[in-house]
This record gives sequence, structure tokens and C-alpha cells, in this order.
Amino acid sequence: MRSRKSRFWQQILGAVLVSFLLMFPVQAQEEDPNPDSPTPILLSEAGSTRALAAPSESIGQTNLSKIKSGAFSANSKILLFVSNLNLMPDEGANAFRVNVEDAKGRQYRFPVLEIMPVKGQNGVYALTVLLTDELKFWERPKFKGDVLVSLAWRGLVSNSLRLGIGKTGGIIKNDVRAVSTTAPPTQIDKSENSPNPTPNFVGYYYSADRTRFLEQATFGPTPGIDQKIRRLGLRTWLNTQFEAPYPTNPYPNLILMPGNATDECRATLNCIRDFYTMYPVQTWFYKEAFYGDAQLRHRTAWALSQLWVVSGVDTQQASWMFAYHQKLSQHAFGNYRNLMTDITLNPAMGNYLDMIRSTRNNPNENFAREILQLFSIGLFMLNQDGTLQLDGDGKPIPTYDQNTVNNFTKVFTGWTLCENTALCPNRTAGAPNYKDPLLLNQNNHDLTAKTLLAYPNAVNQNLPAGQNGATDMTQALDNIFNHPNVAPFVSRILIQHLVTSDPTPAYVGRVAAAFNNNGSNVRGDMKAVIKTILLDPEARGNVKTDPKYGKLREPVQFATNLYRQFNVRSFDGTTQSDGYVNQIIAPMGQNTFNSATVFNYYTPDYIVPGTALNGPEFGILTTGTAIARANFINTIVFNRIGISSLAPFGTSIDLTEMQASATADASGNQLLDAINTKLMHGTMSEQMKNTILTAVLAVADTDPLLRARTAIYLVASSSQYQVQR
Amino acid sequence: MKQNRREFLTKSGCALGMAAIATQVQHFGMMSALAQTVDGSNAPSVPNDYRALVCIFMQGGNDGNNTVIPIHSDASLSNYSSYSNARTASGLAIAQNALLPITVPRMNNLSYGLNPSLGVVTGGINNGMHELWAQGKMAIVTNTGTLVKPMTRAQYQANSVPRPLQLFSHSDQVTQYQSGRSDQNSFTGWGGRISDRRTQADNPGGLVPMITSISGAQLFTAGQSTLPLAINNAGTSLSSVLSPQGFNTTAASQARLSAFNQLRAQDLNSDYIAAASNITNQAIQANQALSTFQEVTVAFPNTSIGSQLKQVARLIKKRADLSVNRQIFYVQIGSFDTHTSQINGQGTLLSQFSQAVRAFYDEMVTQGVSNSVTTFTMSDFARTFNPAGSGAVVGSDHAWANHMFVIGGAVSGGNFYGGNTSNGTPFPTLQMNGPDDADNGTNARGRWIPTTSVEQYAATLARWYGLSDGDMSIVFPNIVNFPTNDLGFMQP
Repeated sequence: MRSRKSRFWQQILGAVLVSFLLMFPVQAQEEDPNPDSPTPILLSEAGSTRALAAPSESIGQTNLSKIKSGAFSANSKILLFVSNLNLMPDEGANAFRVNVEDAKGRQYRFPVLEIMPVKGQNGVYALTVLLTDELKFWERPKFKGDVLVSLAWRGLVSNSLRLGIGKTGGIIKNDVRAVSTTAPPTQIDKSENSPNPTPNFVGYYYSADRTRFLEQATFGPTPGIDQKIRRLGLRTWLNTQFEAPYPTNPYPNLILMPGNATDECRATLNCIRDFYTMYPVQTWFYKEAFYGDAQLRHRTAWALSQLWVVSGVDTQQASWMFAYHQKLSQHAFGNYRNLMTDITLNPAMGNYLDMIRSTRNNPNENFAREILQLFSIGLFMLNQDGTLQLDGDGKPIPTYDQNTVNNFTKVFTGWTLCENTALCPNRTAGAPNYKDPLLLNQNNHDLTAKTLLAYPNAVNQNLPAGQNGATDMTQALDNIFNHPNVAPFVSRILIQHLVTSDPTPAYVGRVAAAFNNNGSNVRGDMKAVIKTILLDPEARGNVKTDPKYGKLREPVQFATNLYRQFNVRSFDGTTQSDGYVNQIIAPMGQNTFNSATVFNYYTPDYIVPGTALNGPEFGILTTGTAIARANFINTIVFNRIGISSLAPFGTSIDLTEMQASATADASGNQLLDAINTKLMHGTMSEQMKNTILTAVLAVADTDPLLRARTAIYLVASSSQYQVQR
Repeated sequence: MKQNRREFLTKSGCALGMAAIATQVQHFGMMSALAQTVDGSNAPSVPNDYRALVCIFMQGGNDGNNTVIPIHSDASLSNYSSYSNARTASGLAIAQNALLPITVPRMNNLSYGLNPSLGVVTGGINNGMHELWAQGKMAIVTNTGTLVKPMTRAQYQANSVPRPLQLFSHSDQVTQYQSGRSDQNSFTGWGGRISDRRTQADNPGGLVPMITSISGAQLFTAGQSTLPLAINNAGTSLSSVLSPQGFNTTAASQARLSAFNQLRAQDLNSDYIAAASNITNQAIQANQALSTFQEVTVAFPNTSIGSQLKQVARLIKKRADLSVNRQIFYVQIGSFDTHTSQINGQGTLLSQFSQAVRAFYDEMVTQGVSNSVTTFTMSDFARTFNPAGSGAVVGSDHAWANHMFVIGGAVSGGNFYGGNTSNGTPFPTLQMNGPDDADNGTNARGRWIPTTSVEQYAATLARWYGLSDGDMSIVFPNIVNFPTNDLGFMQP
């Protein structure tokens, strides 16, 4: 099967985008291809909006004009025909999703089992599709008549066509995308893939995709960074980001304070705030997000902080959280295995998940359980594309059981805060040491043998009795790190944080492959993982049309993107913001560095209400926070954050550019165009534009600032903007 | 610019906003009509009374073993010694004379004890929950937990009956309590599914969804066709809890408000945009309904759970204005994940819980609806009978079957309910590696195997609420695996 497919791929399609998975030396200026994939076309019967479809047994049939598409039985396998693809090597069935809607408006998805080229029909592929809903949102679907099918690929959706299941006919209406597309299929014009060279070297022409890329790789686009990417191109910019010094605003070097604040501190102005709360972490974090140069590292560390969660709820001092964040940012472009070690031995984590209190006589399983469930492999065995492995009864297969947790609990016994003067450089008398890594007390380590994770060719599945605690830990982390789930598990979560909530298995698989092997036989190389996520064809492109593509902006990104887009600065506009903004972001459901639980603000598996789609950030979108989002926009657009003891400089946005657009054109069109480009990379619908224009024109043209504010409020508070596509 | 909200609504007539919304908002009754006409028939007969379920989720896994404790010394059952032998040395046991006694008819009138934090506490504003037992307004459903089918210890250890997915894992056990099934992951919660089935019949003209969460989005409240109202706790008044800020009566501002509302009817071909707009629509519609509100009478404690239940009480007081006959509420209290420092940690949380529940009950009495409002608890799981650690930091780890509280005038209170354990009573045998322990061998920690399933517990509440027999297996697909769907703790 595999070799037949490989040969088949070699035969077709010269235009292959091999560069996606290759690593280049840092110095070289790398070329970026056209980011736009072709839009797939589902073939219909001649002059009809009925999909060309045939039973799967007719796979060898090449004369498409002879196919008469009737009705098919539910649960049968059929062929659908698609053209206008530009497939990469190894890009197969799991890159496609067949979306289905019935006459009641209910949504289903049929699995695509295989894709094969149709002989003698250059550029046409036959998709083998199983007519069984895989979303399972609706129980016991009954198909009796036509449904509408469309095909999604790399964030692009095909035309939609009718397909008869059970019988043809019924009350389903063609939707706006129902377009008859009879053969012969169009041949891809590969010349379109390279824009005309111009005398002044431009690295990356695609302005809409530049904005999209910056939404994914930074805390929001700015004109400066956009210009840089335009010149350097994506790949070269990524390489410079991997080397960029971090942070731009140094981590505050806070001293360790006693576990109980002294009376002196309590009596000193701001002492509690500056040492015993997350305030310094939050203001530092937002300043770095607003103005830092190493945006990608800051963004990646932020994503990692939502995977390896430590909360300010239990982390008493800002210095503890800084020490933790330093480890995240240090390894953001390092190796995942080293991240595992340093976080396991980090005191904030040791405290948060109780490892510093776990001894052989009084074991505590908290960290042991969560490192497996949340930080590395998850609960169920995964295929390399992130889909669930199923047993013979169609049930998911657990990755471990309570016994495994008990054994890992033993592994992690015996560690304490580093309070040995000789071994702990940051030890401070009278204050718990949350800066140095944990120290082993071998006397408290469980010396029995341990049985760890089982998987094919498992590394260190059995640890012998009597080992040193550090050896046990190293070997146990190796056992976890080499589990086949780690690559798809971590890859999928990072894709969700950076690009899209419900990535195709093919996308997850491409990133997981980079995790498993960066091209130089290194596993866990975060640079390779991040690069693959951001350069994947499912991430790239000027426009994404798949209705199931995108993600709801989390409140932190929602806020920083808008602030950066409008040149965030101090209250009076004369200097930088002080970063005191968490207090207006937290009401949207994301109190920065204060997640309620170890499950982060939202779970990666959250299902958007009323759908079967993953949408983690919807976990904190409620009637309450939806209004909080609109009110946040009201605050930043119509007001400023004033100067106070908490905010020495305050925060405001700069609307002069938008105001100028409003002044220059009394019709409002120039203002709308400017905002459309800036915030929505040109995807604003005509309807939306007209609605906003009506409101803008209700403001006298003598008040261009209010016109600008009106337009920005309406775009930024809209769902169309809040969903990042 | 700043003005009284009611004044603003009057001046602007609020019709502008509503006109735009009317074109797009799916009426809450209509939404579930879709589900019902498709899936089956519910002859719509609008009830002439009011009923509400209030779920209190104890996040993190409340240690039931330190919540309901045997006081008696009857040697034929687990008694106080069984408890203290396991927990005294490590410092986790509560002194016998500190327990708040309850007499349990089902246990041959033996004496059991509630955690002292459930009674009169220092700094409390009422007498707590304990008194409600003797008044017959509180029942305890014992040894309850996630199950796919009834399961004996031998079956558990032989793995011969399907186990719930990922026992002892917070997120999964929370999910299963809230979804009401343990054999597969579910996109919906049992509260949401009740709402799917009942909204059209019970609240045909309802101005707010049948379900309200005061703790954000929760699986429990998610249905296939219905969404919850999610609002802040009583720290924010009902009239401003969902009010978009920054609009005034000028023509320009009203034009902006109109556009703000219209935009949510556009670009709905994207599933994510449609979902976000739908949630905002619900907020705007609910905001119209909540623009006036009346304060409650009884004093509530100034805690998170107190403030959440106070907001529930305010909404219940507005039930006629909101045109609702049936409501489900979700609140939560956390964090009970007491791996360490449990004595103080759990004690503080239980007293907050008890004070808030008592205030809420008293307010329901004041409002005259105490027989119409039933409060019940859920929690991730219980905790190991065997302590974790010792001394001041002693705690306990993740376990399984737990004890649940049900409070209200419609409860057949003052008794234990649920299936019998190995000892022939509904209270488990408190013995590590004993007949009710899922764990085996010398390292067994005491994780009781449930003898009452979440579904049975939930179905009993749902039946009282008005769910029909026909809908029972739709809302609780696995209820057929269990001997009864009515545990008897609700009055007929």
C-alpha cells in the first residue's frame, strides 16, 4: 500500500513544495513560495449541481462522462471527484474533509479514506468517501434524500454539490457555493506560483498573508515588523527570530522573599504588590508583548505557559513565576526534552503540583498524573496525525492506567526546594528558594522498581530497584519523551495556539513529523516544530475560505493585537505604555498568569457549543465575556488607562492614521479600506462594510476622530474580527 | 454621557436594538423546537408551576470521607474506629465529638456525623446546612460515582465490565459527571440535554435560556440546540451584568449600536463566526430582559459561592418577568483538590459552601419557592481514604465514589439514598483493600467503587424537574444499564 502510493506520488505533479520540511542554514536568505493553494473543485454532473459520484468499486473507471450519480446507501463507500489540487509528497486522504449539511441544516462530516489520481484525466483525483458521519454531534443521523457536500483542503473550501443518500431529491436547497463544474478540469497554471520579479528586492509580496502570519507568530502586526517581513520574507525572518535576544525588557531581578511577608514589607508601600502578586509579571509580560523584538519567542513561551500551566493562584511570589517563565522562554526554541527536565525541576511547578512534598512514605501523584495527561502524551493512544487509535470495538485505547500513575509517582519522590548553601547559588536565608532547580533528598526517594509507559520499542519501560532519584527521573522523562503520542499531542496543541482550532490530521501529521525528526535525526527540536507550524500550507495563504477554519482570539491576543495595530503608548502619548492592562483583559475570562486550574483557561478539546468543532478559546466565551469583549473595545477605543500608582504612564492607542483616512475622504470609504486592510487583511464582506459605513456616515464629517472610533469599535467588537482566520 | 440605564432604554426605546436582533436571534423556545420536532414528540403543555434545579459543583474532588463520617460504634458496619484508625495517625481524622450528628433511618437509625464546617461556624451569618437534615429538607446520596454499568469489586479487578474512561483524572471525571455518561466523550451535558428536550414545552415564551451558569461555560450546561446564559456573580447587578457600555442617545451612537447588532447577522457561513455571534446575541437579548431587578431579602455570605447563589436567587425572583417556568442553574466552588493541607483547606471551603447553601435555602423560603427549588451537589470524585502525607500538610489523593447532598422542600430529606454496597447498606465499608475498594493489595488507598451511578442520581432529579420517561434514555443514554432511574429522594 505504502510503496504503491509512493510511486504514484512520484508520477504526478511536478510542482512540489518540498521546501516546507527542509531546514536551511540561518544565514541564507530563503525564498518563500506563493502561499496560496489552489481552491479545490468538486466535479458535478454535466449542467447540474449534483456531485459526480460512483460506488467505490468503480475505482478503475476512467470515463467520467459515463458516470450516472444516483442515490447511495448510508455507510457505503463512494467516489467523489476533485480537481485543481497541488499536492505535496505524502499529502493524502487525511488532508481532506468532506463537510455535509442535510435539509435540516445539520452538519456532518464523512471520512475520506483514500485519494487516487484518475487515469487519463490529468489533474482529477478520486476521493474514496465513507458515507458515515464522523463528527457524531447528532445521534443516529437519518439520511433520506439529498445532502450538500463540500470539500475542505488547507483551509480552502470547494464548491458545494448535492449528493443523494438513501434517495435523491428532498427539500435541501443549493447554497451560495453550489456551482456546476463539469469536466474537463482545469489544469493548474504553475506560472502563477511565482510573481514577476521586480527590480527592488521584495522578499514577501503577499500583504494579506503577511498580516495573517504576524497574527500567528507575534502579539500582533505593526507597520515596522510588516515592512521587515516584506523585505526579508517569512523564512529568513523566522531564522532571525530564532536568534533574537530575549527579552527586550529584561526580566525584573526580584529577590526571594519570606514565605510569610514580614511586618516591614506589609508596612512598606507596594511591597506586597511588587513581590507577592502577579502584578510585576503581568506588566512585564504586556510590555514585552507590546514592544519586544523577539516576538516569536515571547509568543511561543506564552503558548507553552498554557500547556505547562503554573498558576499565580498558588504561586505566591512574582519572582517564582519569573523563574518559571525564564525556563519556558529559554526552551521555546530549544528541545522539548530539556523543557521537560527543567520544568519538572522548577520549584513553582514542584509546588503547584506537589512534587516538592512527595516522598516515598507519603507519595503524591499530582505531578505524575498531569505530566502524562496534560504535558506530554494525553489520555489516549494517537496516530501520528493526532487522530485517535481505536480498538476492535471502536473504543479509544488508554495510554496508561492508575498503576502507571502510581509508578511515576514513585519516580518523582524525594525532591525538595534547593536549600543547601553549597549547592544552591540563589539560596536566600529566610526565604524559600524558588529560583534554583529542585534538589534530591535520596532518603525520601522510593527505591522500588518502577514499571513505566509501554509502547512499541519503549525506552526505559522498567526502572530497576535501588536507583538514584535523579537517574530515575532522567530515565522516566526519556520514557515519556519517546512515547509516540508526544509529537502529535504537543503539535496539535501548538497549532491550536498559533493558527487554527481544528487543524486537519494532515497538518498535525506534518508538524508531528518535524517533531519526531527535524531533518537531522533530532527529536523534539522546537525550532523545527514552530517553523513547520507557521509555514505549513494550511497556515499560509492570503485568504482562507473553509467555514471551519480559524480560531477565536484568546483575550490576551485580542487585546495585544489591537494595541499593537494602533501604536500602543502611554496615556499622554509621549512614551511607552507601562503594561498595566491585565485589569481590563481579565474580565474577558483570561486573568494573565492566574489560570483557575492546571487545565489552563480553556481545554484544547473544548467543543464549540452547537457544533462538533474544536474551539478551545470558546471555553471562555460566554454571554458574560462576550459583552466584556465589547466593553473592552469601548474602553480602549473611547477611553484610555489613566495614570495611577499602578500605572505610572498609563496606556492609550494612537488613532491619528485612521483619523487622517477619515479626514481625507468624507465618503468614509478610505477609512473603511484602511481598517479592512489593517484588521481583517482585506476579507471584510461587502455587507459588513456597508453596515459599518452607515454608522460612520451618521457621524458628521467634521468629527473624523469619532468616525474613526466608530469604525474601529464596530470592526474590533465584531465576531468577524474576533475569529482569526 | 453617563446616564441611568433605564433612562437610556426609555429614551432610545430600545426598539432600535431589538429590531435588528429580531431578524437573527433564534428564539430560545424555537431553537429547541427544532430538536424536538426532529427527534420525537413532546406534546407541549406548559406547566402551571415553577421548578428549578441548582447544581453546585465542588471542583477538584471533595473528600466525602471527611464530609460524612460514621459516629456510631456498631461493629457490624464501618464505625468511627474504622475511620479514625485510618486517618488519625496522619492527622486527617476529625475528632468524634466534633462531628455534627445526623440520625439515618436507612442505617438502622445509627448516628453519622457531618463535617463540623457544615454547622455553626465562627464568623458565620447563619446556622449552616446541618439543621436542614433534622428538618427533612436535606438528603445524602451515598457512594455515588461514574459508572458505565453496575460493577462489583471482582468485576472491576478482572476488568470484565467496562470501566468509566480515565478514572481518577480530574478533567475526565468532571466531564463525565457533567455529561452524564462515562463510556464516551460527549459534546453535551445532561443539563443541556434536559434543556434541549424541555425548553419549548416548559418555557415557550422564555426571554432567557432555560440554563444559566454563574461560572462561565460548562459542559453541564451545553446542549445540542441550546446554550446557557452565563453571567457574573452578584458582584454585578442583573441590570448591568450584560449591558454593552459606551452608548448614548445621540444619533451617531444609536447608529453605531444598530450596526453593532446588525453585524452579528452577517458572515455566518463561518461556523466560528456564527458561534461567537450567537453567544453575543443571547447576551444582548438577555440584557433586555434583565434591565430591571429586585434585590433578595436574606443576607448572603460575601464569598464566591455566596455571591453566585445570590445571583441565582435574584434570577429566580425575576422568573415571572423572564417568562420561565423551569430553570437549571450551575454554580461552583473550588478548589477541593486537597492533596495537601486538607484539614484547613476543606474546612474553609465546606463552611463557605454550607453558609451559602443555607442562605440560599432561607431566601427560597422567603420567596415562597422552597418546595420548587432543589439544590444538589456534584464533584469530580472522592478522595483516597488513605491520607497523602501527614501532619499539618496532610491531604488525600484522587479516588472514586462520593457522597452528594440534595437540599430543598421537595426532597424526602433526613436519610441516605442510593444502591447498597457490599455490606448491604448504602454506606461503603471503610477499609483499604476491603470489599468496596477498587484498589488491591497492600498499597490499596481506599477508592470506593460506586454503587449509585451519576445517571441514576441525575435522572431522579430530572424526573422531578419534569423530564418524561420517553426522554429519559435520550438524555441519559446509559440509564438502561441500571436497575432504577428513581432513587426515591425526591417527593413524588
